Amino acid sequence: MNHRNKDTVTGKTMKTIVLLMFSLLILLPVLIVVLASFKQMTELFVNPLGWPKTFSLDNYVVMFKEQSIGRYFGNSLIVTLSTIFCILLFASMLAYAIYRFSGWRSLVIYGLFAAGMMVPPQVNMIPIYKLVADLKLTNSLGGLIAVSIAIFMPVAVFILSGFMKSMPKEMIEAAAIDGCGEWQSYFRIVLPLSMSSISASAIFLSVMVWNDLLFPLLLINSESKKTLPLALLQFQGEFMTNFPVIFAGVIIASAPIVIAYIFLQRYFVEGVTAGSIKG
Amino acid sequence: MKKWFSATVFMIALAMFVTGCGNNGNSSKPNENSSAPSKSASESPKSVDNEKEVQISFIHWRGEDTKVFNELIAKFEGENPKIKVEMSIFPSEQYLANAQAKLIDGTAGDVFASYPGAQFETMFKAGLYADLSDVGFKSKYTENLIKAGQKDGKQYAFPYQLVYNQPIYNKAIFEKLNLTPPKDWEGFLALCETLKSNGYVPIAFPGADIGPGQFMNSMMMNNNTDEEIWAKVETGQAKVTDEWFVKTLSQFKELNDKGYFQKDSLGTSKDIAGSLFAQEKAAMLATGSYMLASNLALNPELKQGLLAPITVAADQAVYEGIHTTTFLLGVSARSSKKDAAKKFVEFLSQAENAEKYANETGQLVTVNGVNYSTSELQETVSWTSKKTRFHPRYLISVAAIEKAVTSSIQEVIGGVDPVKAAENAQKIIDQNLKK
Amino acid sequence: MKHSKSLYLFILPGLAIYLLFFVYPTINGLILSFSSWDGFSERKWIGLDNYTRMLTGDSIFVRAFQNNMKFMISVVVFQTILSLFFAILLTKNTKKNVIYRVLFFFPTIISSIAVAFIWGFMYNPNVGVINSFLGNIGLDALSNNWLGNPAMAIYSIAFVQVWAHTGQMIVLFVAGLQSIPEELYEAVYLDGANRWQAFRNVTWPLVAPAATIVVAYTTIQSFKAFDLIFALTGGGPAYSTEILSTYIYHTAFQSSEFGYAAAQSMGFMVIIAIVTIGQFKLLRGNRAY
Repeated sequence: MNHRNKDTVTGKTMKTIVLLMFSLLILLPVLIVVLASFKQMTELFVNPLGWPKTFSLDNYVVMFKEQSIGRYFGNSLIVTLSTIFCILLFASMLAYAIYRFSGWRSLVIYGLFAAGMMVPPQVNMIPIYKLVADLKLTNSLGGLIAVSIAIFMPVAVFILSGFMKSMPKEMIEAAAIDGCGEWQSYFRIVLPLSMSSISASAIFLSVMVWNDLLFPLLLINSESKKTLPLALLQFQGEFMTNFPVIFAGVIIASAPIVIAYIFLQRYFVEGVTAGSIKG
Repeated sequence: MKKWFSATVFMIALAMFVTGCGNNGNSSKPNENSSAPSKSASESPKSVDNEKEVQISFIHWRGEDTKVFNELIAKFEGENPKIKVEMSIFPSEQYLANAQAKLIDGTAGDVFASYPGAQFETMFKAGLYADLSDVGFKSKYTENLIKAGQKDGKQYAFPYQLVYNQPIYNKAIFEKLNLTPPKDWEGFLALCETLKSNGYVPIAFPGADIGPGQFMNSMMMNNNTDEEIWAKVETGQAKVTDEWFVKTLSQFKELNDKGYFQKDSLGTSKDIAGSLFAQEKAAMLATGSYMLASNLALNPELKQGLLAPITVAADQAVYEGIHTTTFLLGVSARSSKKDAAKKFVEFLSQAENAEKYANETGQLVTVNGVNYSTSELQETVSWTSKKTRFHPRYLISVAAIEKAVTSSIQEVIGGVDPVKAAENAQKIIDQNLKK
Repeated sequence: MKHSKSLYLFILPGLAIYLLFFVYPTINGLILSFSSWDGFSERKWIGLDNYTRMLTGDSIFVRAFQNNMKFMISVVVFQTILSLFFAILLTKNTKKNVIYRVLFFFPTIISSIAVAFIWGFMYNPNVGVINSFLGNIGLDALSNNWLGNPAMAIYSIAFVQVWAHTGQMIVLFVAGLQSIPEELYEAVYLDGANRWQAFRNVTWPLVAPAATIVVAYTTIQSFKAFDLIFALTGGGPAYSTEILSTYIYHTAFQSSEFGYAAAQSMGFMVIIAIVTIGQFKLLRGNRAY
């Protein structure tokens, strides 16, 4: 394997230096913000870059005491988990049907969803708002979940049917000869075999849904139903220049995804890659 | 076919489970929220009482008032155990967007706040305000301060705050340097020069957000004293390329070129500008009286006053400052809980509650019989006897035109020639003229 | 084998929710674009007026389009070069390389709004980290009004976009590079090629499919950078960071011109389609084989 990069010693040092510099560029802003979240406002003005005098948790306490961040957290969790669960179930069923149908039916369904990926949210956000309002579902997590399912469904259908296409059709046909119905072959054969791409989509979608701002902004208005990104936007108004408190909020809001990332890096990287091939 | 049927039922059940799980998950959690200040702690668990409890929604844009409103709401809920108030706050830049959509479908804003002028007109046209002409608590307000909430002889909303949209200055710095609020433009420039040469930022200007829209009012008030001017601009009878506005822009340029704004003013948000002022690095803050309290919170030692730049010669000056009555409290016409909503507005209109609001937020209120305990408020009160002009920018009713005007100020500060910036703005105005 | 009828049931739930909450509103959006509606009063059918206004009488739309292009081109060029460069350094699956890739990928997973908070603080002119850092190392001359200078702001945001997404593109490129058979390199090096020639003749042509994906994806991402710009500058100062998606939001929710906003979003969709297809053509055309 050493033909690809014929590294000399200086080349190697150069490479290490470049990589370390880029690592710093990625990490430093994050580190500065993490450190800032332990400082007090006055300290931050005097010393924006350095180590905090003491690692005080005051700002985090504010987040939990004065803000219902626990609740926002719970809302985000409910929305993300319900959305992901439904999308994966529905999209895998759709992908299965696309896989099993032959000819124009398969193409029409696939095309309908693939086209959905090209539509920017600006096109339908106003009519979506109106529809959700007519259904009396604004300001409910259920309404937000239903919309999120529809919005993110195309990507999931795209990834999953892409994967299923690569499965040998003979396998299903053999199963059918054995007397398996469609439901059984879906649950017993296709679903277990697609687990890798399902989990990749799950991660990809979790990142998108957890971080989504536009639709919560549009559909949610009461304090008790806010999701984390929406709450973050609001902290800005409430704490104004109190950067340390806001940063504590940012860190709490990002923590679950970051922790999941640390443990499941490989799946994250695969998932996001799978999602992005959609271009 | 039976299989079809059962599978359909399964799917529908599944869909209901999924959407339902969102709602259940939520309603099973209110106790977790006991730390949330917006909920009154004195409340017994839900649905124990026989009589029905109503929950009203209160929406507004003042994030900085969260604490005092939570306290007032707790008090209100104590007095009215059957009514719960849920408060939602949207940042002012997004307020119209959010409030509008939510008021139409009646999902939020049984009680809602609005800005005077264009926003009040739009919402009035949409039939969003319930008629409040006959409410008993109307007499609690100062009569000539609630006109902004009237239309065709009827009262649709009560302006709650009386605001002066003109710069705040640091009295201690002025006293130390023996300065007084100037009477003409020459005097204002000389004042800035003295401040600058003494190491202060003369004016903290939040150019990134509210600065242009706030400071333009006092900067233009004497350059064009016609109160109808923006209505004329909107219909094409007057232009921003006319002398008065180009002059206003040139004066902005002059302040900027002479270094009287802080460095990088266009990257400065109102919060940062406020903290520059509170740290006594800047001697003036080009926002309005609504920031007196938050400044004081950042620095309790601060002694603040209000002034306005006079952009003409002293004998030509007509106005001394800019005022607004704002934070119009209205009850949604689409609300099904109007009685409870009115009760809450009535509660806020009581002198003792308005007084608490005023003294803790540093806002003058339009309610009678309020004692202002802080020196900031007393300073502001002294302005009620001066000749002030109603906030001109609020009289621009087309949002795109308003934005074109404030953007022209940003352009000038960014280095564009005033004549060119005025032309750019006029081009956008021409594209958005009222028909 | 014939499919059975029960397959239709597989489509039902997903399709129903998609038709109701996505397709139907999209069609409504199209219809809305031919009308005038302020959100309150009755809709009025006005035919093509919104479209003529967009194409002939809206200088901010043109401005937003130009900003979009500036933003897109700077992000596409820098992010693609940077990510290809690092992908070449990190192609091999050694332990170190994997750690670097995971590290560089990290910003992708944080929300744009959190990224906006981080960089809003970094760029802040008064308590800002970058300017005080430049001051500390004696490079005051380089300090700038990052988000406040109308000529600079869009590029400052483009930098943040590159910061946040380069890692993701590295991963895409690595996947492409790993599919290049080792023998090809052995062959050209045996022919006495230097590294540049090896890159020119082997890597570049073979990495082109991955590059197509990276460029297309970066383009779409840059058109959709709504959250980041919304939270960092809101489109200001003086329209200098107003891109199409923020302008559409403003038309709808600040000016309450919902019909016109719908027409703008249709225009937006067409622009994205044209730009994406154009790029595909360009990149495919450039491919050696």
